[in-house]
Amino acid sequence: MSEPIRLGEYPRMRRVDERKPPELRFSQRAIEELERIKKHYPNKRAAMLPALWIAQREYGGYLPPEALMEVAYRMGTSYAVVEGVATFYTMYNKRPVGRVMLEVCTNLTCSICGGYEILRYLEEKLGIRVGETTPDGQFTLMEVECLNDCGNAPVMQVGNRYYGNLTLEKIDALLEELKSSEEHTVVQLADTIVQCHLTESERQDIERALARAAQAEEA
Amino acid sequence: MPERRVLFEHRDVPGIETLEVYEKHGGYSALRKALSMTRQQVIDEVKASGVRGRGGAGFPAWIKWNGIPKDESKPHYVLCNADEGEPGTFKDRELMMRLPHQVIEGMVIAGYATLAKVGYIYIRGEYTEPARVMRRAIDEAYRAGYLGKNILGSGVDFDLYIHMGAGSYECGEESAMMSSLMGERGQPRLKFPHAPLPTIAGLWDCPTLINNVETLSCVPAIIRNGGAWYASMGTEKSTGTKIFSVSGHVNRPGNYEVEMGTPLMELLELAGGVKGKLKAVIPGGSSVPILPADKCDVNLDYESLQAAGTMLGSGGFMVLNDTVCIVRFMRRTAAFYAHESCGKCTPCREGTRWMVKIFDRILAGGGRMEDIDLLLDICDQIDGRSYCGLGDAAAWPIRASIKHFRHEYEYFIQHGHSIVEAEGKAVAV
Repeated sequence: MSEPIRLGEYPRMRRVDERKPPELRFSQRAIEELERIKKHYPNKRAAMLPALWIAQREYGGYLPPEALMEVAYRMGTSYAVVEGVATFYTMYNKRPVGRVMLEVCTNLTCSICGGYEILRYLEEKLGIRVGETTPDGQFTLMEVECLNDCGNAPVMQVGNRYYGNLTLEKIDALLEELKSSEEHTVVQLADTIVQCHLTESERQDIERALARAAQAEEA
Repeated sequence: MPERRVLFEHRDVPGIETLEVYEKHGGYSALRKALSMTRQQVIDEVKASGVRGRGGAGFPAWIKWNGIPKDESKPHYVLCNADEGEPGTFKDRELMMRLPHQVIEGMVIAGYATLAKVGYIYIRGEYTEPARVMRRAIDEAYRAGYLGKNILGSGVDFDLYIHMGAGSYECGEESAMMSSLMGERGQPRLKFPHAPLPTIAGLWDCPTLINNVETLSCVPAIIRNGGAWYASMGTEKSTGTKIFSVSGHVNRPGNYEVEMGTPLMELLELAGGVKGKLKAVIPGGSSVPILPADKCDVNLDYESLQAAGTMLGSGGFMVLNDTVCIVRFMRRTAAFYAHESCGKCTPCREGTRWMVKIFDRILAGGGRMEDIDLLLDICDQIDGRSYCGLGDAAAWPIRASIKHFRHEYEYFIQHGHSIVEAEGKAVAV
């Protein structure tokens, strides 16, 4: 059985001074990507979700208030609007997360196929509770709603990949594999999502623009 | 009845996700044919097919197609709903992973028929694997001239963009999806008849055709073989085939495409039979009322399931055996809706949370007999009192579970533990 839901829980965010000009951290690549994605829609506001994905990648896997400030600046809107959108969606992390985020499904099919066992086992093995990050910053454990791969229940998402038909042995092997990898799965996921938005010609365009910029800098 | 594969005809062909193999198996021939027909002829074929929305509502697709204004005073859009989030459903995932070009072909035909020059496919954020497959397929289609300007020399333009969600069940609802695509919180809007239909004022107040991945995937076969051919399958009112995502306590879970009207028990056999003793089936995703085993002698089509007190929904077919404690299972269902309620409408936002609190009280051993009626009362107060169907969907399963399994609730409240435990079985949840 799952934990009682915490009613009215709201991610408390640090405030930033909106009067000060934001500190801009987007890379040239991020700026190029955002400019192109904005052109997919009749107005730039529609690029809000992709812009937040770009920010999540650029800020190392989560959205601190500074990231929301930068998105507001680049989208020409207010901090409040961006915060409103960012806090609505569960995949935008409002708090720092570990390098590897383990998202275990415990929804209906997974719950009757052992999803909670997987979750409890991971809690025990990592020594943390759901929603926490290991002290070394390697793993964050999350309980998520249906990932819609119920045919392979129980299922867990790690970054770009779904792992299905999980057993405790599979979890052991997977954790070893993830420990030895270097990838930041949360950043990787955000990057994949951004790349999925871009058409082939846009991606080539970006590479050319970046190459030009690099040449100009050398000269 | 065995499987009847129309959408899944070439699912198992190696490399079918590439353009080359898809074309070898008749891919994009429907698009060529559609471009040689008039727009109204295309819509008429969809009408003749009788195909109904596969996302869950079962609304006749052609009415949406035909409802798009026939003039171009405003830009038109096609929006493909690939925000598959209904617990128990995983058909769109497989359709996108295996047959991405079928989705694209359906969307281009829909764009041609409804005068749209731009299409969006809204894929949920978690679905990066299907999204990458779609990305590759769209890039291939652009290179081959199936997308972009002047498609196959016909003078028709159609651009297709992927838009990714960021984790919200609510965004699978069409008006919330439009809000989300326009860069807002994914909350629903006022609906017809209080507001215009999306076909008149959808994305950016322009005419928008919104169809599910599966509905659009039906289109190439309908155009290729004719609407009458499609309508010859299934029942009179529920035509064609339907993909059921079978999961839970069965031996071979997976997606099975069968003709509409196939007996439920045959689908169970296709999926390798039940593990253990059948207790109940949820035939259309978590939102539809539960069907106890003794009522499972029913055919799988919109009308028969409705007559049996449940719905076809999205085809998320969950099978529960007798180790499942209905009270705990329903607590998990209620918790899902409480988590996913977008917070816009009070009855749903507050009601779903109250239901979880009552369930938690029962599960903690502090339940009172009146709690059962209290749950029913809350269901009545949510049902039909929210902008979108999420509230209704939160109420229906709970209400049906009390109707069919009231004795389990009563036992739990009286004894403080589950009737399943009392029967000496391990509880699955």
